[in-house]
Amino acid sequence: MALAGAATGVVLSMQTREALIQFGAKSMLPAVIIFSIIRETGPIITALIVSGRVGAGIGAELGSMKVTEQIDAMEASAINPYKFLAATRILACIVALPLLTVAADFCGVVMGWIANTLTEPVSLRFFLNRGLNGVTFNDLLPPTVKTCIFGFIIGLVSCFQGMNTRGGTEGVGRSATSSVLLSSLFVILADVVLVRLIIVFFERV
Amino acid sequence: MDAQPDMPPIAVQGLRKSFGQQKVLNGISLSIAPHEIVTVLGRSGTGKSVLLKLLIGLEKPDAGSISIDGHEIGSLENIDQLNEVRKQVGFLFQQAALYDSLSIRQNVAFPLKRHSNLSAEEQKSRVEELLASVGMDRDQDKMPSEISGGMKKRVGLARALALDPEIVMFDEPTAGLDPITAAEIASLIIELREKRHITSLVVTHDIHTARAISDRLVVLNEGNILTEGTFEDLQKSKEPFVAQFLKDAR
Repeated sequence: MALAGAATGVVLSMQTREALIQFGAKSMLPAVIIFSIIRETGPIITALIVSGRVGAGIGAELGSMKVTEQIDAMEASAINPYKFLAATRILACIVALPLLTVAADFCGVVMGWIANTLTEPVSLRFFLNRGLNGVTFNDLLPPTVKTCIFGFIIGLVSCFQGMNTRGGTEGVGRSATSSVLLSSLFVILADVVLVRLIIVFFERV
Repeated sequence: MDAQPDMPPIAVQGLRKSFGQQKVLNGISLSIAPHEIVTVLGRSGTGKSVLLKLLIGLEKPDAGSISIDGHEIGSLENIDQLNEVRKQVGFLFQQAALYDSLSIRQNVAFPLKRHSNLSAEEQKSRVEELLASVGMDRDQDKMPSEISGGMKKRVGLARALALDPEIVMFDEPTAGLDPITAAEIASLIIELREKRHITSLVVTHDIHTARAISDRLVVLNEGNILTEGTFEDLQKSKEPFVAQFLKDAR
């Protein structure tokens, strides 16, 4: 997660630097990096990586439990597997996503500064002062909190795919793949809606 | 959720179940008396395991009635009521279905943690007692992946007995086991009746185990009960399928 955030920061720094120089707006580079990362790149990269890693894990684990009758055994023991297995995983995804997003944002910003300073040395304090100048609570909080919804989607889709696995070990593989595919797809679609809602409700006048 | 006091522990009437076009159970009726060991025999894929899953509410029947311990499963209003009935029933799955992320001890403790009022100490001694009763007390801290198929069945049985059920259902308890381990599992099933007065329903295609443990055998073929009775009754049956099935046991 940290590596993905860091790589994003480096790439943003390298990609935007030349373009901003062309328009005579090099001084905007810290702000561009920080705004891009905290408002969109950090949350969506985090969600897609969690979809791949955790989504596949949940899909495969629950799928394996399904085909080996462990979920049936739980029901036969009068324990609700949806509460015990699914609800806990969904809740964990909801809680973990914003925290991971903050970590990815931090690494992205720091690496963005490092990449920038390798070309043109600036202090971290200067970089942050320039970048965070104008950043408000509304720039940070709604995009970070929206990752709770990404977490909910990843947990829900992966648990559903896992608990509805059919067809032995082949089915477990299918569940893992479809968990990643569908949760990534729904995360991207949800992002479109959420970005629009954030603009409507939190955009500065 | 009132139980009917005069009902046998397990009573099934006109039970039907299909999966798509495939008819699995074609209106079977069965009644099991208290402390009786009944074995349902049949070829693989004839719906024996489906019958057990219907009884425990893991599958829903298309038609017919199921009564467990006097409770009509179809008339239960919600999952909580069904779960109350499930607590009276132990279920040993074909592959034991142990939770592979939990140790042997944790597997057996799992139903106790959720459904009993025992203290942690009492739970621990109950788990030890259960594992000792199936000869697995030395391997409590092993993971399911570290033990053999026969050992898994034993642990599965200990877990099924955790809540002190009145009824235990066994899905192919000896499938995939060597004859010696199969005989040990059969002895455990008989012991359950002797020591705990448990009513047992066993589904298997292992005729030797069926002969060793059963008070009564029920032969299932193509979704219908062909015949039922003691092993000696079955030996006298004129049904070619039954004769073919018992050929091995002679």
